[in-house]
Order: sequence, then C-alpha cells, then structure tokens
Amino acid sequence: MAVIADAVAPRPGRKRLDRLVTGVLSHLVLAIFALIVVYPVAWMVFASLKDQTDLLGNIWGLPRSWAWRNYGDAWRTAGLGRALANSIFVSLATVVLVVAIAAPAGYALAKFRLRYATAIFLVFVLTMQAPVPVIPLYVLLVRLHMTDSYVGYILPLAAGGLPLAVFVFRAFFLTIPRELEEAAVVDGSTRLGAFLRVVMPVSTPAVATVAILQFLAAWNEYFLALILIRSPELRTLPLAIQVFFFDWGRTDWGPIFAALSVGSIPMIVVYVLMQRRFVQGLTAGAVKG
Amino acid sequence: MASYLWVLPALGLYALFTLVPLASGVWLALLRWDGIAPAEFVGLQNFERMLRDERLASALWHNVQYALGTVAGKIVLSLGLALLLHRSLRGRAVYRTALFLPVVMSFVVVGILWTWIYNDDFGLVNNLLRSVGLGGLAQDWLGDTRVALWALIAVDIWKWYGFHMVIFLAGLQTIPTELYEAARLDGASRWRQLTSITLPLLRPVMLVNVTLSLLGAMNVFDIPYVMTEGGPANSTNVVALHVYLQAFKFNRLGYGSALSYAIFLLITVIALVQLRLLSRNTAEY
Repeated sequence: MAVIADAVAPRPGRKRLDRLVTGVLSHLVLAIFALIVVYPVAWMVFASLKDQTDLLGNIWGLPRSWAWRNYGDAWRTAGLGRALANSIFVSLATVVLVVAIAAPAGYALAKFRLRYATAIFLVFVLTMQAPVPVIPLYVLLVRLHMTDSYVGYILPLAAGGLPLAVFVFRAFFLTIPRELEEAAVVDGSTRLGAFLRVVMPVSTPAVATVAILQFLAAWNEYFLALILIRSPELRTLPLAIQVFFFDWGRTDWGPIFAALSVGSIPMIVVYVLMQRRFVQGLTAGAVKG
Repeated sequence: MASYLWVLPALGLYALFTLVPLASGVWLALLRWDGIAPAEFVGLQNFERMLRDERLASALWHNVQYALGTVAGKIVLSLGLALLLHRSLRGRAVYRTALFLPVVMSFVVVGILWTWIYNDDFGLVNNLLRSVGLGGLAQDWLGDTRVALWALIAVDIWKWYGFHMVIFLAGLQTIPTELYEAARLDGASRWRQLTSITLPLLRPVMLVNVTLSLLGAMNVFDIPYVMTEGGPANSTNVVALHVYLQAFKFNRLGYGSALSYAIFLLITVIALVQLRLLSRNTAEY
C-alpha cells in the first residue's frame, strides 16, 4: 500500500509549495470576506463621529472632525436615552420571565411521568416555526386594553421565545443524572426544593443559552414593536432608530450613524466578550437537535 | 395533578399569546372588519379577493426571487468559507468571530447602514467601483426597479453568511477523518473527496441551512420596510409588507388575516416538499 501511495503522491518539494499556495489563498479569501463583514460596522462607528463635510468628502478614512455633537443630537432628537432604558428593561424582563417559566416546564417534561408530556411537548415543537400571528394578536391585545404598554409588549415577546426555551431546557435536563435529585430528596428536600437548590445551580449552560437567545431576540425585535407601540416614550431602540431615520435620515446622516452605533455597540461588546457562548447558543438554538 | 403546575405557566402564556391568536385568526379571516365599525361576516370572500390582488401576485414573485437569491447566495458562500476555514487552523477563532458579527445586529441597524452604503454619490459601493475603474457599474442601487430587490438580497446574505458557515463547520467536524485518509490512499482527487464524502455527509446541516434561509426569505419584512418601503414602484414589495399595509395602513384586518393564513399554508407546503426532497436517501456511515 505504502508503495502505491508514494507513487501517486507528487514530489515532496512541489507538495510543500502547493500547500503553501493554497494556504495563502484560503487566508486571502477568508480575510476578504471577514473584511466585507467587519469594515462596514467599523465604518459606521467612524461615520458617527464625522460632520457633514467629513462624511461627504472623506468617505473611507478615519474622522477628521470627531463630531461628538452627533451623539448629543441623536440622543435628544431620537429620545435614545429613554429608548436604551426601554430596550434594556424589556429585554431583561423577557429573559427573566422566560427562564422562570420555561425551566420548570422543561424539567417536568424531562423528568416527571406526565401522561400528556409528549402532547404538550409537541404543541411547542410543532408551532415553533409558525410566524407570529400578528393581526389576531393585535386584536386580542386591543380587547385586553394592553396595546401600547410594557406588559402588552413583554408578554407576547416572551411567549414567542417559550417553545425554543422549553426545548433547550428539556434537552439539558434529560442529561442530568437522576441520582442528583434523589440525593436531595433523601436529605428531606421537596421536589421543588431539589429543583431550585440542586438542579438549577448546575444548569448554567442551559440558562446561558436561553438567556442569550431571548435577550438578543428581544433587543433586536422590531416588527411587533412597530405594530404594538404607539407612544414615543415606550419605543425600544430599533423602533426609535427607525422613526428617527424616517424623519431625519435623508438630510442629516451624522446623528443617524450615532444612533445606529448606540443601537448596536452594546450588543457587539457583549458578543465579543462572550463570543464562544454566543456562537454556540445561537447555532444550537437554530439547529434544535 | 400538582405536576402539571410546573408546566402550566409556560403553557398558559404560550396559549394566550400564540395559540389563541393562531386559532382566532381563522375566524378573523372570514370577516370584513376595519377594527372599529361592527364586523361583517363575508365567508370566503377574502380568499377570492386574493386571486384578483395584483399586488399580492407581484409580492409573491418578489419573495420567490428573494428566496432563490438568498438561499443560493448564503449556501454557496457559507459552504465555501466553511471548507476553507475547516482546513486552515491558524486564526480560525478570529475569522469565526468576525464573520459571525452581523448576527447580533438588528435588521433595522443593518438596513439603515446599507441604505447609506448604497448611496448613489457618497456610498461605499459606488466609491469602491469608481476607485477600481469600474465606475460604469456604479448606479443608484435602491432607486432602480431592476436592481433594488437584488440589492436587498445582498444585505440579507451579508448579515447571515457567517452564521450559516458556523453551522456548516459544526457539520464538517462530525465527518471522520479516516474517510479522507482512505480516499487518498485510493487516489481520489480533492474534488472527488468533496463530492463523494463531504457533500453527502453534510446533507443534515445542509437541510438546516436551506430551511432556515428559506423561512427567513418567505417572512422577510424588516429589510424592505426600512430600506425601500417596498419601492421604487413596488419593485421590492414582499408579502409580509403587503399584509402589514393591508392590515395596519388600510385597516383591512379580515383581509390581512386571510392573507397571512394563505401564506402560512403555502410556506408549510414548500417546507414539507423541500424536507422530502432533501432528506431522501440521507447518507449513512
């Protein structure tokens, strides 16, 4: 066998050169496509610090003017401070709500002998891919007098994230050995006590995945906000930025880029700090087993 | 019974805000209702009306083009990059972090950013083309009815190719390296290894990637709404935008509801057909 392989293989010198050339070429292609992704984002931040002449005359370079004024303008005109606070509040509230109710549900579906466990699980899984029924949802919220309120936005947003969260928690709890809870129950804990004191503390990976998926979904959510939120003081960042863009965008671009930066830099920083968890959580969330 | 209390909050919230609307939408689809005056029961009239809705027909056609463009673009790019990245170990983490970046940005931010990147006079695209001597290709990307839709498709691909690449990478890592060693011993070329080992074994992740991008394309709303509002001359009007305008601009809640149901059924059928096509003779090893 070895003789045949040697005869097929090209001479060693040529082979090394081939490998070097393909290596350099792959890095070149990868670098170009990475640059296509990263450069516009970096450019957005540069542009947020350019004044109008700089923006139109110095398209590719770093800002010459350092127009911090753009941020002040965007902050005041678009109500970004309020929108930032709203986005943080709404995103955190949906994360807490989803973890608090999806974790016990996923646990019960994984560990209890429930007669309808499969049926309940199927309800979540089968409707997971269905688009949000916005029109009847809107009608329902009007009936409940809940449009244009935090609650009326947070609850549907959390509901939308539930199937995936239940799915992730159930899959995780299935991997936890039964002895763990049994030991706690023997020590005199109730089932709830065992869940809270023994199971949840070892479930950080599942909580992190669900929290990242839900926070990101809520932070970037736009369509429901557009339909459900009317009052300027309730706008989340994506909605506030879009309204600001439609009202001011075609004339004054510096503040627009400042608003875009405020809307995306916090998330980018968190992503870069926790990128391994982000990439794993988001792709696991998409693949769903 | 007490055990069901563990499931009840999740099931209750989900039922109220997803399952109930999903069901009540069927009733809504049979009404003529502006949300204020008393509703009138019209039977299947809303569905008949769809057949005469020319805007709907053109919007559907735009979704089909959008789906073809984004699915093809995302799959080819992400698979190619995954294959390159799978082999080159050095700098893999850096490339992955960079390429995945737009996933964490909202479509509103991405859409507005690209509106400027496509700007006729000061945008990056046209300036790049002019500076490399291809000024003849420079144009008003979002203002021309023939190219606007494809300009939006490019933005969608830009946001997601790193994401699909990571999924392909995960798939590539599950392929046993012995298969390639055996193939090399048999004298199989690189191309032959790709078509006989890599691609057949990537079928499951291929299925995931195609399904995700297809669903995304059929439901797309944010990009055309923010960047072009469906224009110029309706050339980027898509179904979700049409539904939104019918329901919330023209207050036709019944017709909008009927539309979303019809589209939902259509997507389900497409997804099922595609699932059958792609999952047929899945490779085993």
